[in-house]
Amino acid sequence: MKKRRLAIVLDTRKCIDCKACTVACKTENKIPLGRETYRNWVSEGPLRGEYPNLGQSYTPGQCMQCANTPCDRVCPTRATWVNDDGIVVVEDRKCIGCKYCMTACPYNARYYNEETGAVDKCTFCIQRVAVGEIPACVETCPTKVRVFGDLNDPESEVSELLARHPYRVLKPEIGTEPFLFYLM
Amino acid sequence: MPKRLKISPKWLFFSLLTCGVIAGLAAAGYVFWVGHSEAYNVTREIPWGILISTYVFFVVCCSGLCLVSSLGHVFGVTQFEQISKRAILLAIITMLVGFGTIAMEINHPIRMAIWVVLSPNFSSPIWWMGALYGGYLVILCLEFYALMKDRHGMASTLGLLGFVMAMAASSNLGGVFGLLEARPFWYGAFLPLYLILTALVSGGALLALIVYFNHRTRGLPFHEGERSFMDALGRLQALFVGLLAFFLIWKVITGLYGRPPQGYEAMMALINGPLSLPFWLFEVLLGLLVPLVFLLRRQSRTPQGVALAGGCSLIGMFFMRYDMVVAGQLVPMRVDVGEQAGTWLAYTPSVTEVVIVLGALSACLLLYSIAEQRLDLSSTHT
Repeated sequence: MKKRRLAIVLDTRKCIDCKACTVACKTENKIPLGRETYRNWVSEGPLRGEYPNLGQSYTPGQCMQCANTPCDRVCPTRATWVNDDGIVVVEDRKCIGCKYCMTACPYNARYYNEETGAVDKCTFCIQRVAVGEIPACVETCPTKVRVFGDLNDPESEVSELLARHPYRVLKPEIGTEPFLFYLM
Repeated sequence: MPKRLKISPKWLFFSLLTCGVIAGLAAAGYVFWVGHSEAYNVTREIPWGILISTYVFFVVCCSGLCLVSSLGHVFGVTQFEQISKRAILLAIITMLVGFGTIAMEINHPIRMAIWVVLSPNFSSPIWWMGALYGGYLVILCLEFYALMKDRHGMASTLGLLGFVMAMAASSNLGGVFGLLEARPFWYGAFLPLYLILTALVSGGALLALIVYFNHRTRGLPFHEGERSFMDALGRLQALFVGLLAFFLIWKVITGLYGRPPQGYEAMMALINGPLSLPFWLFEVLLGLLVPLVFLLRRQSRTPQGVALAGGCSLIGMFFMRYDMVVAGQLVPMRVDVGEQAGTWLAYTPSVTEVVIVLGALSACLLLYSIAEQRLDLSSTHT
């Protein structure tokens, strides 16, 4: 059977900055309270125009599940790796807390979780994906900014979206080959 | 009439260092009690702070001591043979204290000892850092044993091995930073080479201090041979510090020229930002310019002058490590509202972090001073 390559496609024009994705993620993945403890985020762009004609864009983000992973490369104990679905995972018991992966990640997608005693990050809600569900951030979004699916399946919604629309990835110049795609 | 308590300088010296070590241990205990997130000011955005920079300071001092002292017992420059034992001993102590410092920064040092063996990642520069410094420590211990037992052939062979390991370990340490594509301020071949050069500066500075204070504390005069050694060391140091100045000048020029993304902002953090005080005052003035003035003038290249230049260089080196580690992380990875383009993230070491650093410096000095008291470190060659 062909391996899956899971990805998320985002249409940021639909984002209303409600941060329901962040709350759903924190609840689903039991993220400790704190300003620095989060797996996903919504970056707010600068205000455009002048009152009353104002505009602002938002860019939700999380671990980009890169194909060329700097975090995986630098981890001294192989505590982080890419699984068969293309999801970058962390094996808590092997994480020594050197935080090298945090300095290596160009997206600031990782944080140290004092409760698990390991570096933590988005895993596309791997526990949900394993039982055929979609990630909590995808499910909860009221405007359906995120679409989740398998890029190795040409019939999947993510494959169709990327075939029909132009898209971009974040920081392409670093060569990480992210699997979060932003429609343009 | 009550007897007046007489406090000797030696008693005061050892008491102060012991207090420093106790304070450091207390701070370490506090970290174990409340956890890293409570005790340290490192953040998600700036995960490496002063403990990492102090670790770099210590282990690069270790490499430098080995490199410069190898001139004597490896490359046969007889003037340098008198300091071999002291240099190797201090190299061992600086490495052990450096390991202690990084163990306080890593969340799970015991887990590390297990998994770097059971699940090694050979593509990780940190894995290589542990392997190289671990092997290097064993070589240094054997070398010190050989020197103490006057087994010159063995000491010379181990010294050569130590020389290679010192080069490999310090340049790989530069690679720990230099291989991170995400951090343009660090990325590239500059840091591995820079760390070798700064190792030479640190090693030379420490050797000057060792020789000078060994004579001062024992009340020994500087004979002609020792004066000529200090003069030679001073000239060597002038070369190292002069080269370092050029390395720094070119790092600044490449950081500013054409405003490379992220690298420019990090460089500006040093030149005219949150790190400008440690950069200009300690790294440039105290660490480079003052030593150069003392070392280049023949009149001031006396034992005192060379030692003073060494002390200044060493202080400069400490801040240079801090600037290097922190500047690379001050530029935000994501530009959100409130963190507008061109602004820096903030990091100030916590009291606990500073006390641990002071404890580490005290431990290094205390261990070396005790060894000086207990061991016969004088050379048989002079």
